[in-house]
Amino acid sequence: MEKATRYRGWGLLFTATILLGTACSKKDTPAPDEPVGVVTLSFSHTVKGVPMVLNGPAYTNALGETYTIRKFKYYISNIVLGNGSVSDAEKESYHLVDQASTASLSFNLLPKVNSYTTLSFVLGVDSLRNVSGAQGGALDPLNDMFWTWTTGYIMAKMEGNSPLSNQPNNRIEYHLGGFSGPHSVLKKITLALPPGKTLDVRKGQISAIRIAADLDAWWQQPNSISIAGLPICTTPGAQAKAIADNYAKMFTITEVINN
Amino acid sequence: MLLCLVSGILFFNACSKKDRIPGNGTVYNPTFLTLQLPAGWPAPAFSIFAANPLTEEGFQLGRKLFYDGRLSRDGNFPCASCHQQFAAFATYDHDLSHGIDNQFTTRNAPGLFNLAWMRELHWDGGINHIEVQPLAPITAPNEMGEQLSQVLQKLKNDTGYVRMFKLAFEDGAITSQHMLKALAQYMGSILSYNSKYDKVKRGEANFTLSEQQGYTFFKAKCETCHKEPLFTDFSYRNTGLTLNTFTNDFGRMRITGNRADSLKFKVPSLRNAALTFPYTHDGRLYTLGQVLDHYRNTVAPGPTLDPLLTGGIPMTSTERGNLILFLNTLTDTVLTKDPRFAAF
Repeated sequence: MEKATRYRGWGLLFTATILLGTACSKKDTPAPDEPVGVVTLSFSHTVKGVPMVLNGPAYTNALGETYTIRKFKYYISNIVLGNGSVSDAEKESYHLVDQASTASLSFNLLPKVNSYTTLSFVLGVDSLRNVSGAQGGALDPLNDMFWTWTTGYIMAKMEGNSPLSNQPNNRIEYHLGGFSGPHSVLKKITLALPPGKTLDVRKGQISAIRIAADLDAWWQQPNSISIAGLPICTTPGAQAKAIADNYAKMFTITEVINN
Repeated sequence: MLLCLVSGILFFNACSKKDRIPGNGTVYNPTFLTLQLPAGWPAPAFSIFAANPLTEEGFQLGRKLFYDGRLSRDGNFPCASCHQQFAAFATYDHDLSHGIDNQFTTRNAPGLFNLAWMRELHWDGGINHIEVQPLAPITAPNEMGEQLSQVLQKLKNDTGYVRMFKLAFEDGAITSQHMLKALAQYMGSILSYNSKYDKVKRGEANFTLSEQQGYTFFKAKCETCHKEPLFTDFSYRNTGLTLNTFTNDFGRMRITGNRADSLKFKVPSLRNAALTFPYTHDGRLYTLGQVLDHYRNTVAPGPTLDPLLTGGIPMTSTERGNLILFLNTLTDTVLTKDPRFAAF
């Protein structure tokens, strides 16, 4: 009698397990009535329009201060394509773009089939992920973009050297972060496609958007940043915010390719 | 009814089954646990296990990591070197703890218990989630002094860890995220609620007359900041301790960048106070008597001094003595001897 009850129980559980198994495998598959295409987003880095080379030539900022670049990396998150009436947000949208890693300079989006006219994203990691504990993937603290003394991501990082720096080995370091309050460096950036141009996402086809980011933007407009005056900025605050106000304007879309 | 319960357990497991790693004899089939909160306590403002389901396997992995010196560069400094169970997971009898290469830490190691209620960690509240806290001591050059990538490599080279990560996490990967979540499961499970004070509250014991008088004084003079039952209100306050000119530690101001937070530090829980000496953020006061004498006599005025402490806290020697006797009733030897939290 007891055995029979147990068998009945297992039968029920077996059915439940199968049903759940089906439910679980379904959740990541898009509905069949929402076809998607592929859009390759690629980033190229320049300084005053010249391709950036790490550990390479000396560059000159608006104040005539020379510097070299050793590291240049930043987070792009919450990517949304739009066309005025419809928008498509990438799920789990976190990407670390690193000049030292060619593989990081382009990645694919899988938006719904449509024609889009705007691209928006956050430069940095949204505040929610800064307060949600241990993260993986692009947000893994192994990527050297996470503070351990005050919780939060470094949204953008530039390191190098400059004869104007009074720091050890003439080092310059800009670790820009801070996700809340008046000194948040988070920037939502919306880029319009070139006039008359649309991004056409079609099923089975690969489109592309090419974006240029010019580091020269970091030094001016609206805030004039002097290397001699600020060779190191590694804590959240007004100075980090001033640079972020500048770098929010570093991106331009250079090309849209529809195949 | 029993059937419903069993179904419930399988419900959790159902999703994991499809991704089991075949052919290695290690099956992800975790035992889910629920942290039993002490009766009558306020619910935590957030659940530290909401995105990190508590399992026996995750807890045991976290426990092993907590006691493993390999998380430090030279193998000698596990988390437990500064957080000793017999001291309620503080460092016993040390103003500052010892870090790697004969260095001192810069602050007094706090006891670790009831962290499920603690939204912000560290004396300055700089850490906003228990899962990311271990990154600070592991990588600090004067604490465990190790690189995260090195720690993960050491774990990957250990077949015991390979097995335990497979048991604790669905994809079995040895990643920083899984390591940190396992540590959070262990640390977040450490509760202190079995002191004599708790037994009195539950009607299982009685205070002595002196302890009762100490408690009455505590309710009148201390309870605003050291709020029951956790014995902290989680705020940051300047208690009139002068700046430590060696560490130049301004506390909360380093995190907020706000001058109004200068010399403010987190209000520590008084639970297990008798075990967690020395006291204050830099361990400058060695005994409970010295702490009370500070409140009686040496509270330093200043622009950010907590208004409640203007002029200090007057108390007679009898009140001081009774208060110490009451504070001694907050010692939880069930916690300090619980084999579940002991060295792995």
